Amino acid sequence: MPSHEAMEQAAAWFSLLQSGTATDADRERWQDWLAGTEDNRAAWAFVDRISQRFQPLQTHTSPRLAADALQAAKRRLARRRIILGTVVIAGAGGMLSWAVWQQPGTMDTLIAWGADYRTATGERREIHLADGTQVWLGSASAFNQEYDARLRRLRLYTGEILIQTAADNQHDAGGRPFIVDTAHGRLRALGTRFNVRLDDEGHTQLAVYEGAVQITPTAGIPGTTITAGQQARFTAEHLETPAPADPAREAWSRGILLAQDIPLGEVIAELSRYRHGHIAVAPDVAQLTVLVSYPLDDVDGALAMLQQTLPIQIRRPLPWWTSIEARTQ
Amino acid sequence: MLMVLINVLNSYMHSSDHQEEVAPAATPAMQSVHFLYSDHHNWLVGWLRFRLGDATDAADLAHDTFVRLIARPRCFDNSQEARAYLRTIANGLCIDLWRHREIERAWLETLATQPEAYAPSAEEQIAVLQALHEIDGMLHYLPPKAARAFILVMACGMTHQEVARELGVSSRMVGHYITRAMLHCMQLETRNLAQTDAIAP
Repeated sequence: MPSHEAMEQAAAWFSLLQSGTATDADRERWQDWLAGTEDNRAAWAFVDRISQRFQPLQTHTSPRLAADALQAAKRRLARRRIILGTVVIAGAGGMLSWAVWQQPGTMDTLIAWGADYRTATGERREIHLADGTQVWLGSASAFNQEYDARLRRLRLYTGEILIQTAADNQHDAGGRPFIVDTAHGRLRALGTRFNVRLDDEGHTQLAVYEGAVQITPTAGIPGTTITAGQQARFTAEHLETPAPADPAREAWSRGILLAQDIPLGEVIAELSRYRHGHIAVAPDVAQLTVLVSYPLDDVDGALAMLQQTLPIQIRRPLPWWTSIEARTQ
Repeated sequence: MLMVLINVLNSYMHSSDHQEEVAPAATPAMQSVHFLYSDHHNWLVGWLRFRLGDATDAADLAHDTFVRLIARPRCFDNSQEARAYLRTIANGLCIDLWRHREIERAWLETLATQPEAYAPSAEEQIAVLQALHEIDGMLHYLPPKAARAFILVMACGMTHQEVARELGVSSRMVGHYITRAMLHCMQLETRNLAQTDAIAP
């Protein structure tokens, strides 16, 4: 199977070549790309396979008629789905909760659209909750606030939040506990400043800067308490060994990208959270270590600076496509 | 048809007995499919008949549901959980069936609006319907505009500018839709291939 990277490039090439505005130079560059590696050719074979699926519409009928028939069918099905959707939700609470358990990521992404607080890609927000707790919400993030008589509970659906809890004045007997729930487990704050992040690999990552936070993974495995200066990643079934807390997980709230001896690949993954479009990093430069501190609001500026300090070159073959590779002399 | 399924089940159980040293987990899983079938098949047919309003369709889809379960056996803690799972699969199959019929209907309706002179042969009709089903399956999870743009480009050979005018978006957005749709289809294709390879002996 071709690599994901080659498939992404093949799809982008395909889009350019049949756009109606491709030049001879574009076609030559595509030929070079195709001749470049076996991986590229394998990826392009899939473009061919997909194109062939549409062949019968061109040879046996008027393609426009077939396209319109499909459109009409889709429209009717969409109406039907709205009606069905309500029936399914009303009739099968059990099934829905099963689906949530099965696919925490997907469900949470959908729910995030309707969350109480959320940010767009590239946006950061500072939020003051009624009890005095302060929350910084990172790029493309979403959480719900569910306070009741017993608990102060936040549910993080996607992205990253930094929390500075306040003592709860509403209750005399020591105040209500402060809880953050994610798809992977429950975090209970013990008077504190801490960061919670859902990473791309399907973990919850906790970093504690003041006080302590208790982790209880969903699957019922033994939890642990993370104290100030430590961080730990976990899933519902697995808790990783704590490590020293990364200052970058606090710096973002001040709008600063902080990378101290971090591989370039990880730095770019972080920057990608703050900008639309795709940034591809060639494997041979992904391991270069980076020491940088830069405003998160200016991703392109950060990329330009990386280009000055590292042996890399940055190209933009398509408007939404940024490619980082080794600099050729 | 039910006998066929039971035979399939038995042959699966039998073959996994022989391969016990290779895949020790297969035997209990297949046995559990067998029990699931006897415990829940009638209930599932009833549920599907209520859903579809047709006994033959219900029997067919109940059969297909268990075939899916054979392809990917799993164990459940209790019968409530098992039924929730079966219902999820069966529900997906109902929707597939509706999609299939809706596409067929839309295609026949479109043909009916054409002048008599335009009449594809029966073979051609089948080839077109087959292609439409495949395309619909590929584009199912894409946003409607991205799917529409992809079809117009792939089937009708329209340029990005033409598609942009029809959909009321920028040409640049059309380029974005096409890249995304193509990548989505390619990934689906690699996954399907990997699955076929995994199931084939």
